[in-house]
Parts: sequence; C-alpha cells; structure tokens
Amino acid sequence: MRKLMPTIAVMALSVPALLGLSGIAQAQDKFKLGMAVGGNTCCEWMKAQGDVARALAEKAGWDYVELSNNNDPAIALKNAQIFVQEGVDAVIQFNGQPSANAAISAVLGAAKIPVVTYDIADPGMYFVGIDNLAAGIAGGEQLGLIMKEKWDCNPDLVISSEGAGAGIVNEWRTGGMRTGVKNICPGIPDEKYISFEGSGDAAVALPAARDLLAANPNAVKMAVVGINDGGMLGLINAAEQLGRADEVIGWGQDGAFITGDNVNPHLAGSVFYFLEGYAVYAIRDVIGPIAEGKDVPLKADPGDPASKVQPCPVSAEQAKAVPDMPERVVALLAAPAGTTEYDLFCPNK
Amino acid sequence: MTLDRAIDAMPAATPLRLRLEGWGTPITLLVVWLLLIAATGLYRPDFFAHQTVLAIAFTMSITGVLAIGQGIIGISGGFIDLSQPACLILSGLVAVRLSEAGLPLAVVFAGAIIVGMAWGALNAAIVVAAKLNPVIVTLATNFIGLAALYLVFQLEQVPNDSEIYHMGRARFLGLPVIWWPMLVLIVIVGYLVHYTRFGRRMTAVGGNRFAAKARGISLKTTRFATFMAAGGFVGFAAVLFASAAGPFNPSSAITLQLSVIAAVILAGISLAGGRGSFWMLLLSVGFLSTIPTSLVFFGLSSDNQSIFQGTLLMIAVAIDGYRARRGSP
Amino acid sequence: MSDTPMTDTAASRAAQPFVLPHHPIRDALTGSVASIAFTFIVVIAVGLIWIGPKFVSFGNVSIVGTFLIVPLIVGAFAGFALLAGVVDLSIGSIVGISAAIFAYFISHQWGVLPAAGITLGVCLVIGGLNALAIVRFGADPIAATLGMLTALRGITWVLCGNQRMIPAFDIDYFTLINRQVLGLPLFFLVAILLTLIAAVIVARTRLGRHLQAVGGDDRAAARAGISVQGVRTAALLLSAVGGGLGGIIYVGQLGSAAGATGLGLEFQVYAALMIGGYSILRGGVGNPIGGALGLLAVAGVSNILDLKAISPYYVNIIVGLLLLAAVLLDRFRGGDAYE
Repeated sequence: MRKLMPTIAVMALSVPALLGLSGIAQAQDKFKLGMAVGGNTCCEWMKAQGDVARALAEKAGWDYVELSNNNDPAIALKNAQIFVQEGVDAVIQFNGQPSANAAISAVLGAAKIPVVTYDIADPGMYFVGIDNLAAGIAGGEQLGLIMKEKWDCNPDLVISSEGAGAGIVNEWRTGGMRTGVKNICPGIPDEKYISFEGSGDAAVALPAARDLLAANPNAVKMAVVGINDGGMLGLINAAEQLGRADEVIGWGQDGAFITGDNVNPHLAGSVFYFLEGYAVYAIRDVIGPIAEGKDVPLKADPGDPASKVQPCPVSAEQAKAVPDMPERVVALLAAPAGTTEYDLFCPNK
Repeated sequence: MTLDRAIDAMPAATPLRLRLEGWGTPITLLVVWLLLIAATGLYRPDFFAHQTVLAIAFTMSITGVLAIGQGIIGISGGFIDLSQPACLILSGLVAVRLSEAGLPLAVVFAGAIIVGMAWGALNAAIVVAAKLNPVIVTLATNFIGLAALYLVFQLEQVPNDSEIYHMGRARFLGLPVIWWPMLVLIVIVGYLVHYTRFGRRMTAVGGNRFAAKARGISLKTTRFATFMAAGGFVGFAAVLFASAAGPFNPSSAITLQLSVIAAVILAGISLAGGRGSFWMLLLSVGFLSTIPTSLVFFGLSSDNQSIFQGTLLMIAVAIDGYRARRGSP
Repeated sequence: MSDTPMTDTAASRAAQPFVLPHHPIRDALTGSVASIAFTFIVVIAVGLIWIGPKFVSFGNVSIVGTFLIVPLIVGAFAGFALLAGVVDLSIGSIVGISAAIFAYFISHQWGVLPAAGITLGVCLVIGGLNALAIVRFGADPIAATLGMLTALRGITWVLCGNQRMIPAFDIDYFTLINRQVLGLPLFFLVAILLTLIAAVIVARTRLGRHLQAVGGDDRAAARAGISVQGVRTAALLLSAVGGGLGGIIYVGQLGSAAGATGLGLEFQVYAALMIGGYSILRGGVGNPIGGALGLLAVAGVSNILDLKAISPYYVNIIVGLLLLAAVLLDRFRGGDAYE
C-alpha cells in the first residue's frame, strides 16, 4: 500500500515526460547526476560539495543538475520531485533536515533512482560519509590526552558547544566527543560537563558562551568540545572577552578554522572530514559503478557504509601542513580519479 | 494616520522630562531590572561578579548602538527599519576587508560608517522617490541585500592580532572598550534629539508629519538625514560586531533584530513616532541584555530563552499600546 | 498602530473599496489583481520561452503545486487578517508548533481527526492571545506577533526534543495528503478551491464586508455599527487556524515535524501576498485571488531558477524587486503615498 501512492505519483509525473520533448530524450542517453547541496549558510563546504561534484561529473562526461535544499525539509522534498521529473539517473544529497528523508526516500525509490546521502543515514539511501560518532570519539580522545598531560585529567569544566539544529549529528559529534574525553579521563565528575547552544555558528554562539562563562565565574581550566570549529570558536572568543582564555583548550570538528593564517591559538586541534571532497567517494564507490551498469548493493548503515570516509584528527601543529579549502579543491580535481582528500592531505594517516 | 487622528494627536516635540507622566516608564523599567538582578542574585550569589557585568556589557554594546539607529527611524515616523541585518553584515564585510588590508582602526570605522550611511541613503532614496512606506522598502532591501551578500561571501572574520581584534577584547575602566562608545553615543543622541532644533524637528515629523510640513520642515531632507544617520550607527555597530564575532556569515545578524526592536519599544520610543527618550535605551538595552544571562544562571536552556524573550516582547508592546491608547485625547 | 489606519488624504480614502460591493470578475479585470495576473502571465511566458513546454507540464505543475499547498492555505487565511488591518507575523511559528503538536499525537497512535481537533484548538488559543495583546490592549501587531513568533518557535524546539524532530508517519494520512487527482495534487486543487471560497467570502458575505470595512477605516466602521474589536479578533483567530491547517498538512507531506518546520514561512507568504496586492500596513485592500497569484508567481520564478540551476539566492533578489514594484503600482493606483 505504501508503494501505491508513489506509483500513482510517478505515473502522473511520467505523463509529461512522454510528451515528445526532444531535449529530454537526448539527455537520457547521457548519465545524469543530480545533487542537492545542504544550503545551510553556516559552512563553506556545503557549496563546495556541489562544486566538486559538478567538476567530477563533467570529467566523467555526465550531465549534472544541482539544487539547494536551503536547510528546509519542504524544499528538500521538492528537490527530490524535481530530480524525478528531470530524469536523473542518480542523486546525491546532503540533507541537513532529515525529518523529510522518509518522504524523499519514497519519492526517489518509487522512481527507482538510487540515492547517496552524506553523513546522515536513511534506510533507503546509500550512506557515504563519516561515522560521525567515531569521529567525535576520536576528537574527544585527543582532547582527553591533552587534558591528561596538562591538567592530570582535572579540568574545571568540560564545555560542549551544541548545535541542536543538526539533530542526530549533534548527538553523535558533540556527544561522541564527551564519550572520547571520558574514555581517557574517566574520573571527571558529571557536573563538570556543561553545555550551551551555539548553533554551530561562531557569531551566534558568542553571546550564549559569554553568559555561560559568567555563570561559571571561577572556572579557569576549560576544555571545549563542540559540533564544529565555528561553535567552539564562539566559546574561545567569549573567554577572550572575559579575560579567561589563557587555559582554554579546544578540539574542533570539521577543520573549517584550523587552516590558514588566522588560526586561534586555543584551538589545539580538529578533525578533518574534508567534507567538500565527499563526491570522490560517492562516485568511486557508488555512482560510478551504477553508471557503468553494475549492480551496487544498498548499504545504508553508517557502521557498514557504501563508502566510508576516514576522519583525520589533527593537532594545530599538524594542520599547518594542510592547505585551505579552496586550494584543496583545486588539488583534488587535478589528482587522478578516485584519489581522496584523505589520501592527499591527511598528515597522520 | 487618518487626518482626524493626525489633528487629534498632540504634536510631540516636548522632551520627555516636561511631561509629568514621563517618569513612570523609566522607574518601572529600572525597578523590574533591579528585581531581576535581585532574584538572580538570591538564587545564585555569584551573579554579583565582575564577569557577569562584563558579559552583560558586551551584549549591550552592539544591541545598544543598533537600537539608536532603530530608534531614530522609529521616532521620526519611519516605523521600523527591517534592513538592519543586511546593513550590518555589509558594513561588517567592509570592516573585515579594511582590517585585512592593515589599515588603522579609525579608517576601519570610517569605512564601515560610510557604507552604512550609503545603505541608509539607498533606503531613503526609494522611500522618497517612490513615496513608499519605509517598512516595506526596508523589508525589500533586506531581502535583496542579504541575498546579494550570500552571493558575495560565505564566511569572513577579522584577522587575529589586528587592532580591531584586540579592541573587541580589551577593557577600559573595568568595562569592555566597545561598551563605552555605546554609552557616549546614546548620551549624545539623546541630547541631540531632545535639545536641538534638528532633533525636535525629527520628532515632530514623526509625531505629525502634516503639521511638521505645514511648519516648513522638509520631509525629504528629514528622511534622508534620519536614514543615513541610522545607517551610520549600524555601520558603527558593525565594527563592534566584527571585532569579536569570529567568523560570521550573512545569517549571523538576523537574530539580533528581535532584541533591538524590543529595546526600542521598551524604551518608550513609540514605533508610531513622535515620542520617546533615547536615554531610556540604556535602561531597556541593559535590562534586555541581562535577561539571557539571568536565565543561564537559573539553569534554563536557550529554547526557554526564546520563549521568555518572545513573551516579554508581547507583554511590553501590549503595555505600550495600552499606554498610547490611554494617552491620546 | 492597531486602530490608526494609514489613509492619509480624503482623496485616497475615496479610493478605498469598502463602500462599493465587490464583484469578483470586475475586480479581476481592474485593480490589483490585474497587475499580479499580468506578472503571473509574464512569469509563465518567461518559463515557457526559457525552459520549454516542460514548464507547464502536469509533472512540473504538480511539483510546484505540492510545494505551494501549505503557503496557499496559510496565505488565504492570513489574507483575511490583512484585510482587517492586522498583520500576523507569527503564522510561520504557528505552522511549526501545530506540526509538532499534530505529529506528537499521531506518533502516539491518535486518529487524524482528534489530533487535528486538538491542534486547531491550540491554534485558537494562540490566536486568542494575539488578539488579547493587539485588540484588547492595542499593541502594535507587527511587534506583538514578532514576540509570539519567537516564543512559539522556542516552544516548538522544546517539543521536538534533542533530535529536533518528531517522526509521525500514518500511512493512510500520508496517502491522502499526497493523492493525485487528474494529474495534479489533490490538496493543491483543494487549496485553489479554498482561495476561490475566500474570494467569495470577501466579496459577498457580511464577514467579508466587515473585514474590509474595519481594515479600510475603523472609525467609519464603528460608526456603522460594526464591532471593530470583534472583527479584528476574528481575523486573528482565522489567521491562527490557517497556520494550524498548514502545520497539519506539512506533517502529512513530510511524515514528520521538525523544529525548523515553517521557519521563514511568514516572509515567503507576506512577500507574495503583498506582490499580489495586499498591504501589511493598511487594511481593506487585497483580494484572495491576487494573493494566490502572488504565491504562484513567486513559486514560478523559483521553479524557473531551479530548473535552470541558478543559485536560489537570486529568487530573493527578484522577490524583493517584485515587492517594490507591486507597492509602487499600488501607489499609482491610488494607494497611500507615504508623503
């Protein structure tokens, strides 16, 4: 019964496709890839994901259609419907609003279009991405090691900069980091773990972080974890404003602000995901074989993914060897097919 | 306003001080603020600490300067300037570029203020030339401005160790460096609005623009002046914003609007124009900046803060509306 | 602001339509609907030329139509409030909280109708609170509903919990909402029908006349014996119910409610309504058909840019320009000059 409605929908949608449009008929000879980028303004890699996918599709001689999910579930669903109408042969999506995933799966599944989803799993979609939980734990453990060395595992606070809007990814990354810290420093009492909502955006996190620090006026040795580099920078900047940044140590996620000349000295490290280069994995392991007509088994679970992206934890020192995102993209596209950014740039593989 | 109402309403050029009822609002606001501080302090005595003062003062700085701009638009009858986010980010971008070029802080400020004023002039030009209501004009320019900014950049931040970076973190006499300009500006603007001819003209236009026009005040000039002034203040606030915000994107300023509008309303600057005291902004911005900090001391999450602040705004405008209704003959 | 309509001169007051009875067809040929109809036709033409016959195919129209179901319904109800001179900015948050409440009950195995009943009941309470502040106390509608918007969004975040979403998939309901009839989404046709009904209500019924009277000149309306407070309260209640229906339908379309459901919807709806001839600053002007055409025109532009893979930020730029053009046209047609 679940299939009936989407089938009717697809039948209705396919009527115009048969209305003798020569353009579409020609396009169906070439493999057509559709990509829905996340559209959240927080992060530069969202747009870059599309750019890389476009370049790789062009290299492979495919047609390419890109839409933006605009971080809105209704628009993500609309984009899925447009992909069906445009007759794409495969879809890659980054959907930051997974509440719509069930409906998107239904629409694309009924049209028999395989879908690759980045980082946020759905039972009907090929999972390409990082095990965010494992990445979180890895980062947390690195931070734990520093805390052990500097403070003998005795901080005043372990602060989490949450990004609740990211839903489960926030639980994995931020929660995972806390787990990683606990793995190395199990003796830290629970009341030393506090959180604030930073929305993963440094400017938005700043006032909230200030208030949190004011409410804990005696804390000096502070370890910071968070959903991404930006959210943590909010806390580090707040600590600087309140004059308490001397013993703040943060370990980030996604590596957005640990490259280049403008790195904050309190960011001890981060975990590179090289998110902008995910298309390499998707195309190498899923889309490419599908385009060649091979049958690729559906692997939707982050623990057993269709393509596993390796996280790359780096200290700030090691990160100096890693170029900025725009340069990484250029190098990636110049490299031979199938080379991942992890291969090219991770200093400690 | 209908012609009837316009004639009915008082021309409101008298400074707040001369009206007997004028003392009610500042005292109420002060009392509520003190109650909040006392309640928080009772719950957690370590609320009374220098760190708390710093945190609140930092929050006040940017909201305060933005509120001056919004208040100028409000008191002069322009109702609301919905394009402050676009102006703030645009000026902030300019500030970042200037500081990346290594130019001195004074130049950074000047550049941001000029860009802010240019934005204000753009809004004023559309309002005056097309004779459109500023609310809709600024709504449209905000749409367009933010969209254009999204196309231009994604993330920007001032360079570490630049002058502006240090300014955002430095202190003067125990309070943040960026707090003092806000105080000075509010005091100056309050004086200018109430005690100078230009200020009284601006308020007159807000209160009853037909009477103002009849008295020979040029509405066009006033519009340009007010919008450019307001834009200049937003440009100034942009430098304060960029100094400590870290990497920001075009969406980073949208949430500020609510606090700014609430501050203007609570200060008694009627959105309908013609009435209000800028010195009260110190009280209202201070009060509104204390609320989130207090809520954190009470242990409430940021979702609860939204609920609290939204409800507070509703109550504040309800009281404001009730007062306005009662106040008119 | 709440009881001071913005008409400035006697001349423009004469152009206020509240005295003349409306005739939907005559309205359609003159006035604001003509402008937006023209804009809409231009959008269709541009789409046809630039994209081809695919633009107006059933499939493409279905996609746009599916996306527009909630904005059209919310817009039709919000239009009633605009006619009465009150702008309710909280509609996006009402959609969000309604979706959350409805999804909550659905996920606990309640039936669709009881869940919808409770949701709409809550919406009436919300509308009532808005009315209390705006009508009873005289609060400025823009600021008051801005406060309500923030508070409701906070409550929605709390309701949706850590995951920021409430999954709520009821197969029968999902099938109903997404059913197609004659090649188009059923509820899109329902939304269109609702718009037509709204147009008839505005033109032909006493409620419609009262809404326009109160929005156009509340003093004259009071003199004529119309309860201004009652009409404005009804307008706010209607607006809230519209938001409730929107949230309920979103849950059907997406199979869940998210903390972000309805975020920013008020801007999309009001910009389109204003492009379609309504005003958020003065009541008494606007036609539901114009409002719907405004939404369709903006969605058409967005669709063109989607199909041409142009950055969606250009849509906002175009919407902003259209907005300015629409209010400018409205002014030329005898609307209020600002000064």
